[in-house]
Amino acid sequence: MEKDKAYFRKLANQIMFDLSDEELEELKKEFEVTIRKMDLLDKINTDDVKEMVYPFEGETHFLREDVVDRVVTQEEALANAPEVREGQVLVPKVVK
Amino acid sequence: MRIQDCKEKELNKLVDLQAKLVKANEKLNAVVSYCDVDAQLENYTAPTDAPLYGTPVVLKDNISTKGVRTTASSRILDNYVPFYDATVVKKLRDAGAIFTCKSAMDELGMGGTGLNAYTGKVNNPYDLERITGGSSSGSAALVAAGLSPLAIGTDTGDSIRKPAAYCGIVGVKPTYGRISRYGVIPYASSLDHVGYFTTNIQDAALALEVMAGRDDQDMTSSYEEVAPYASLLKADLKGKKIGIISNVVDAIVDPRFRPSFDAFTKKLEQQGAILEMVTFDQDLMNALLPTYFIISNAEATANHSNLDGIRFGMREPGADLTEIMINSRTKGFSSEVRKRFVIGSYSLFTENQEKIFRKAQKVRRVIVEALDDALKNYDILLAPAAGTLAPKPDESFGEDLNNTFMVAENHMLLGNFSGYPSITVPYDVVDTMPVAINLLARAFDEQTMFNVAKGIEDITGLAGMTKEDF
Repeated sequence: MEKDKAYFRKLANQIMFDLSDEELEELKKEFEVTIRKMDLLDKINTDDVKEMVYPFEGETHFLREDVVDRVVTQEEALANAPEVREGQVLVPKVVK
Repeated sequence: MRIQDCKEKELNKLVDLQAKLVKANEKLNAVVSYCDVDAQLENYTAPTDAPLYGTPVVLKDNISTKGVRTTASSRILDNYVPFYDATVVKKLRDAGAIFTCKSAMDELGMGGTGLNAYTGKVNNPYDLERITGGSSSGSAALVAAGLSPLAIGTDTGDSIRKPAAYCGIVGVKPTYGRISRYGVIPYASSLDHVGYFTTNIQDAALALEVMAGRDDQDMTSSYEEVAPYASLLKADLKGKKIGIISNVVDAIVDPRFRPSFDAFTKKLEQQGAILEMVTFDQDLMNALLPTYFIISNAEATANHSNLDGIRFGMREPGADLTEIMINSRTKGFSSEVRKRFVIGSYSLFTENQEKIFRKAQKVRRVIVEALDDALKNYDILLAPAAGTLAPKPDESFGEDLNNTFMVAENHMLLGNFSGYPSITVPYDVVDTMPVAINLLARAFDEQTMFNVAKGIEDITGLAGMTKEDF
C-alpha cells in the first residue's frame, strides 16, 4: 500500500520531530527504494535461523554487587542542561 | 607522518604543527574544534619511552573529551561539553598522546561521504573537490594530509575503511570488543567499532596495542588477551591462503581499476601468497546493504532518543515539554538523519518487527555463517576496498540498486556484521587518486591481518604516503 505524506509526518511526530513538505516528498520517494531493497531479504531462507543480535555471544558482562566506583557530581550532571533551577533541570510546567 | 618521527622531535614542535593544522584546515574543512596543545604540553608527564611520546593524535568528534566540546557533527550537540573522557582517550593520553583536534564526521556517524557534517563538506587532500568518504571524514583527511600520524575514528558500516581508501592511508577496524566504546557517542550498538587511521602498518600495530583491552565500563568489551602486535609484526605472505572475493571484483565497472588490481595480485603471488577466488551467494551479497540499513537505522533511532534538548544539547523554545523536544529535534538533526530515523522507527513497529527487523537479524546470521565457511579455508579474505576513485559530490552514489553500489561499495559490511578485524591498505595511485584493498581476518586474529598487510605494504612501497601539497 502506498504511503502518503501524512503517514510519514505521523511517523516523524511519533519520534518527536517534524519534516517539511519537501523532506516528506523526498522521504516518500526514498521509501519506495528502501522497500525494494528490504524485499531482497525475502530471497534468503531464514527458516530455523536465530536472530543475530551481537557479533559474539560469549558473556562479557556479569551481575555484581553495587559498589560505588565513580561519582558524578550534581554540578557535572547539570553542566550541559540548557536551564537549571535549584539543582534540577528546568522545563515548562508539565502539570497545569 | 609516522609515530616514530614524532617521538624523536622536540615537544615544542607540536605548537608549530598546530599552526600548520589550522592553516591547512582552511582548505580541508576537517576540524570541528581544536584542542589546547599548549595546556597539554604544560602538564605533560609522559616518559620519553612511552609508546606515543610526543605524538599528535586527532579524535573523531563523537569521542567524549573532558572539557572539550564534542558534537558528533550534529547541531543538536553543538554546545555539548562532556565531563568525562572516553576510555580510548584515557589510554591514548596515558601512552603519551597529545590531542590536536576533534575531527568532522557525517552527523552522528550516519553517512558515508563526509558531505553531511554540521560544519560542511570535508575535502580530500588529493583533490579538494572530491569527497573523503565517511563517516570518519576529518580524521582520514588529516592523516592523509600529513598533519597527524594517528587519528581515531569509528566504523559502523565501513566508516574508517572507506575514507582510508579514498584518502590513500591505512584504516583499521579491529575485532568487535577489542577497543572499548565507553564514552563514544553511539550510532548502532551491535555494529559500532572504534578504530583508527595511520600512514603505515607498523604504526597501526602499535596503535592497537595502546588502545585495545578489556574495559568493565563497556559491556561488549572483550577479555581476549592483547598481543604485542608491533613487536610481533613480520611481513608474511609466503604460503598465506588469501581468498579474493569475486563478487566484489566482478561488480567493479570502472576500467581503470582492473589492470592495477591484476598487477597487484600478481605481485602477491610472486611473494608466495596462494590466491584463490571465493564466490559468495549473490543473493547474500545483495542483502548486505538492506540488512545494514534496517539494523543500523533501527538501533540509531533507539540510541538517539535521548537527544531531545532537555538535559543537554541545543534546546529550542516551545510552550511545553513535547513542543520543546519536537522543535529541538527538528532543528537539531539534518534532513538526512531525520529521514533515517523514520525508516528505523518503521522497521521497529510491532507489525513490522518480524518481517523487517528480526528478518534482518536472521539474514545477518546467515551472512556471517557463509563468511565463517569461507574463513575455514583462508587466512585472509581480500577485495578492492571501493568500486570507484573518491567521487566528486555530484557523483556520490544514489541509493540505487545497481551491482556496483550494492556490492562493490558495501562489501566491507561483512566486517561489521561478523565483528571480524578488517584493514584497508593503499596499493596504487590511479589518475592521481589513491586506490586500496581491504583485508578481513578471523576474529581476534589482528596479528595475521597486520602481517599480511605489512607484506602488501612492502610490495607497494606506499608506507607513509601522504599528500601535503593541496
